[in-house]
Amino acid sequence: MSERKEVYGKAVLYPGCSLDGLGKSYEVSLKLVVEDLGIPYQRVEDYNCCGALEVKNVNTMVGLLLPARNLSLAQSMGANTVISACPGCHYSLSRANHYVNKYQNVGQRVNEHLKKMEEEPYEGKVGTAHAVEYVYNAAGVEEVKKRVKRPLTGLKVAPYYGCLYSRPKQFLGTGYSPFKDDPERPNFMDELLRAAGAEVVPFEAKTMCCGGPHVYSDAEVSVHLEARILKEAKRNGAEVLVTDCPLGHVAIETNMDKIARKYGEELRMPLAYFSQLLAFAFGHSPDEVLLTANLTGPMSILRRYI
Amino acid sequence: MPIPELEKPIIKDVISKEKAIIDGVEVDGTWNSFIVERTQTGYDESMWDEISSTLEGVTISACWQCGTCTSGCTMREYDPNFSPRRFIDLARKGDRQSLVEIQDSLWRCVSCQKCTHRCPKGVMVEEVVHAIHNNLLKHGLVREDPSTKFDELFLETVMNNGGRITELTLGAASAKAGFVTLSVKDLIKMGGALLKSGLVKDLIKPSRVRKWSKVRKVLEEAMKEEVIIQ
Repeated sequence: MSERKEVYGKAVLYPGCSLDGLGKSYEVSLKLVVEDLGIPYQRVEDYNCCGALEVKNVNTMVGLLLPARNLSLAQSMGANTVISACPGCHYSLSRANHYVNKYQNVGQRVNEHLKKMEEEPYEGKVGTAHAVEYVYNAAGVEEVKKRVKRPLTGLKVAPYYGCLYSRPKQFLGTGYSPFKDDPERPNFMDELLRAAGAEVVPFEAKTMCCGGPHVYSDAEVSVHLEARILKEAKRNGAEVLVTDCPLGHVAIETNMDKIARKYGEELRMPLAYFSQLLAFAFGHSPDEVLLTANLTGPMSILRRYI
Repeated sequence: MPIPELEKPIIKDVISKEKAIIDGVEVDGTWNSFIVERTQTGYDESMWDEISSTLEGVTISACWQCGTCTSGCTMREYDPNFSPRRFIDLARKGDRQSLVEIQDSLWRCVSCQKCTHRCPKGVMVEEVVHAIHNNLLKHGLVREDPSTKFDELFLETVMNNGGRITELTLGAASAKAGFVTLSVKDLIKMGGALLKSGLVKDLIKPSRVRKWSKVRKVLEEAMKEEVIIQ
């Protein structure tokens, strides 16, 4: 098993704004999961917003500097890999990594600015990984199976990965390495959930867009996209939509009433982060993993496992 | 004077001769007409260069117009005018006029990255689409759109709140700017769940980057810098 851990070397977690906001339940449960599995990480402190998908459109240099400062912080902690639980952050950090390595003059300018911020110049060598990939590769499915104390037998789940977990390959390296998931048909989360005893239903909307970046500016389209994801999950008999993206999770949860009103009450479905379900299966209480804080109330379904 | 894309003069003039002999054979009908010059007019050729010198737009030249980007596009299903392939085509021709005519579609990319991921030529399509839109914004040719407004709001919120955002700071700023966000009923429902979990403390009082004022100053300076690919 130690070989598997070697893949990532020293790993640190970049929490990003969402994990300190509404995504708190994601961070709390993920921490329990990695500690139970014996693959703990340190947390990058004093981080700043990664710029997500917004800042890069306004200003090129700031769009690189925000993530680059975080990469530099991870580097000064001696990290080989920075893990993001939010695919938006994962994308943003990987994008900055790609550009500073690809264009030397851009990398130099970024480092000049980092120096002025009194941060270490970034050498471009810290790898990036998403939390699902980290749990899947560093611990492995067998280790997960061993930790399960409360098997989720018969729980029908639809794993929703979202866009930026696996796209685009140019930044994230998906499809080029065995430690990265299949970009069009990801299955790492499927296998982790199966290891926890759950039944993964066929789900064709795994990587469909939820309209997240335009949740305010193009609201109608976002709500329709979200309804389509829920419809696909419902059609296949899922009881819970399992997420790995705080942006999509929060967008669907807060829009659930709108979706139900507009596209049918039958689309209502509870959401839970994959780490919440894993930690719950490892025997932690619903309060501990903040399953009670999810707006869509997944405990109504999960109560039968206590 | 706007010229529709499909009606732009490609053939400038045709010479028709009553009697034409080619290689010793007399030709007539359509064969005795000759195209004088093939030129496209009404285009601004500097547009291609401007876009390909930006970090986001540098890959525009690799496009071979296969349409893989558009065929899988999320936004295409909602807006028939949304076509990354066509945006690239028009931008390379320098047809600013036609791009301005579809400005209500140009901003609607949801950044799902399917196009970039699938492009067989390695064009960073999502970035290029934004580069094209930004080029028009820079020249003041298009109205300010909701997406750009939100992106600017996002950056402003990050800058003014110690380098981080929360759903509350961003939501409040968006509501103030006139975006439809959550209703009071939604907020009360959310508040209940948040209070129960103790999350509400983190949301109301978000932590800040310790030396943000210094970082912010550098960022503000960096904003004036134009990134040119060498």
